[in-house]
Amino acid sequence: MNSIPEKFINGPKVKNWSLHNGAECVVTSMPEASLTCIDLWCKAGSSYEENGEEGIAHFLEHMIFKGSDQIKEGEFDLRIEALGGSSNAATGLDDVHFYVLVPPHAIEKAIDLLINLVLSPCLKEKAYSLEREVVLEEIAQQSDQPDEQIFQMVLENCWKKHPYGKPILGNENSLRRSNANAMKKFHERLYIAKNIALAIAGKIPSDIENIINKSELSKLPNYKESPSSVKGYETIPFETGRKEVEVKRLESARIIMAWPIPCANDQNSIMGFDLATSLLGEGRRSRLVYKLREELQIVESIDMDITTLEQSGLIMLEACCLEKDVKEVEYCINQILTESILTSPTKKETERAKQLVRTGLYFSLEVPSQVAALTGSQILWERYQPLLEPLDHMNYWSSDMLCKEVFNQLQPERSFTLIARPQQEE
Amino acid sequence: MAPLKILLDSRNTPGIAAVKIWIREGSRADPYGQKGVHQLLGSILTRGCGPYSNLEVADIIEGCGASMRCDTYEDGFLLSLKCSAEDQSTLLPIIGWMITAPHLEPNQINLERELCLQILNRQKESPFCQAFNSWRKLVYDKTPYGHDPLGRQDDVRKITRTNLVNLSKEFIRREKVLVVSGSFSETILQEIQELEPFARLTSIETGKESLSKTKLDFRAKPSKQSVILQNQETSQVVIMLGQKTISHSHPDDIALRLLACHLGVGMSSLLFKRLREDNALAYDVGVYHPIREYKSPFVIHASTSKEKALLSLKLLLKSWEEILKEPLSDQEIALARAKFKGNLAHNSQTISQRAERKAQLIGFNMSESHDAESLEEIKYISSQALVESARRHLQNPLLSLCGPEMTIKELAGYWNDHYESFRSV
Repeated sequence: MNSIPEKFINGPKVKNWSLHNGAECVVTSMPEASLTCIDLWCKAGSSYEENGEEGIAHFLEHMIFKGSDQIKEGEFDLRIEALGGSSNAATGLDDVHFYVLVPPHAIEKAIDLLINLVLSPCLKEKAYSLEREVVLEEIAQQSDQPDEQIFQMVLENCWKKHPYGKPILGNENSLRRSNANAMKKFHERLYIAKNIALAIAGKIPSDIENIINKSELSKLPNYKESPSSVKGYETIPFETGRKEVEVKRLESARIIMAWPIPCANDQNSIMGFDLATSLLGEGRRSRLVYKLREELQIVESIDMDITTLEQSGLIMLEACCLEKDVKEVEYCINQILTESILTSPTKKETERAKQLVRTGLYFSLEVPSQVAALTGSQILWERYQPLLEPLDHMNYWSSDMLCKEVFNQLQPERSFTLIARPQQEE
Repeated sequence: MAPLKILLDSRNTPGIAAVKIWIREGSRADPYGQKGVHQLLGSILTRGCGPYSNLEVADIIEGCGASMRCDTYEDGFLLSLKCSAEDQSTLLPIIGWMITAPHLEPNQINLERELCLQILNRQKESPFCQAFNSWRKLVYDKTPYGHDPLGRQDDVRKITRTNLVNLSKEFIRREKVLVVSGSFSETILQEIQELEPFARLTSIETGKESLSKTKLDFRAKPSKQSVILQNQETSQVVIMLGQKTISHSHPDDIALRLLACHLGVGMSSLLFKRLREDNALAYDVGVYHPIREYKSPFVIHASTSKEKALLSLKLLLKSWEEILKEPLSDQEIALARAKFKGNLAHNSQTISQRAERKAQLIGFNMSESHDAESLEEIKYISSQALVESARRHLQNPLLSLCGPEMTIKELAGYWNDHYESFRSV
């Protein structure tokens, strides 16, 4: 049991290269895939917004789909979907990416369309005003979801003095004040060659390098002096503490604990925290789930999740329980975390965690969209590595090391804790 | 149908496989007073079975880094295993024991019951879920699809171990299909057949009368109510308009799926363009038309703020009317066909998706090659045929509104004023 098949060890074949202007490219051959994913990444997430620009990174993501200098409004979606493909985009704190999934025969056309759409958007004032209303609807929809509100409260509290603490969607005031000109400047400032990576995964044409090398991406000038395109990796201030809030329309209480973790480039540490979250909160045999849900039966769910970011990441523990049980749940969580530094995990616990992390990575390499997202973000942030390289870091993490270096960090007093209770009706 | 049909779907993967077992009948067969009994049984299958205790099952599965779960849908149970090909021989027996010899220990039943009640309660946090639950009550009340597969809270509280034991005995005799997709050994078929729990299954005869053939009745009690309201102090109003339609195996199913593609699939769809792109009324807009063995829901929906709610409702009604009245243009039907084809490709990218789709088709007693046949069929469906199908199956939509009281009352007033003329389209 648990021996690793050879195909696992190798992973899909990846090739990457740089264009003369500094843009990065990566292709992953997945010859059996029925669809190919083309994923264009840019270092232009919400943390790059300056004062007064709150929400503009995400709003720009919307506006990019409103047409370019060569593509009329609506034409991009129509052409991609008429090919049996789909498209979408996502804005994060560090970066934004735009992707299409198309049948292999349409790759070349889709590359041209996507690159033109993202690099040369129209950003017309009328479309801008109309789309702003859509973004405001998105904000309204999010505000009706108690879970989203709580998540945002945690970020705001633990990263009070950093852009990571601000909502990606922005707020109504900042969006109302913004205009298409300011968005153009944001685009010009950040959508430059050395901030961009193109990832393709799926069935790859043999002349893919040639296709990309002659695309509009290679014609993009490289502005070497662009201070805002370079982000440092300094430690960012994290506020510990504990807060209780009442949330409207919440039915069950939530206990959220958050801890800072190193930035994404520190992959060895990230692996340690990944193993710790599996050991503590993944599966019925993990410590937290076993104690709180299986044995004491005082939570509906409890899990831990890692968010890796370029300047500093976050681990979040979330428990969902009845309001009457909040005190006991919090006490038990704290007890498990406190005791975790007294004795190292058993060999069985550590092996179980390693196996869960290992297979989690293998399972994530099945679909072109996941592979393109993984390779695209890695190459964007200069992490050139085989897909399965993170597994090499596992060897470092013995039970003793997890106890000394990771559990030691995941202590209650080092966390920001938010207790969210259902708001009492008046 | 044999009690267990096995299908192998070899795929070149990085050494992983997905195993799916579809067992006929899900929440649609929950007896009166036991709404949720199928889900409760499904949830405790992994909590001890055959020679393994609850914790031993967890130890083996998690020790392999595998995932195993049982989901209960309206039409059946879906047991899912995803693991390394190397671990199949360790894990397959467990999935067999889950079906043939679940322990159903009282403490595990009570734990899952409490979890289920809390999840049902927490659904109230989602306005979309509230709107859908209301719509389902309006359209399907007291019929087999009339409740959430999780069940009804009052019923879930009262379900006894005896109820579960009785269901598990019947469950063994139900029609089942097992699909393995991905990488597996050449001898896997023989290995499965020789495993003790699967050998037990093949020796069991299917029940004489399938519940689906004898008890399913989708006729709702006659009612004049055409709109249902759910007051919520939210920023937005959720508007849902739809009706129960037809089974996945019905000859008109493909026509309705093409109409769903036209209305709500992708950013070039009618609803997306009309409500979002042209009028900026909503961020979330779309169609919900899941695959069901019987009367599938066909719903269009939008979430929008109070001031924009009336116009949003008007445009949703206009869109619904159009598909009843106006044939799609050549360009529109070509686009709908491309989306239908694209959807099939998008939904069969992973081995889990492939295995689930095959298990579902066989479980519904449909052809394994249904999707390939559909791709041929859509080439010849005309726009006029789509209008005729819409007139046969989409003539009687009902409305669900969830949001601030004043706004949804205003919308309901508009609907009531226009309902009769709308129905006479």
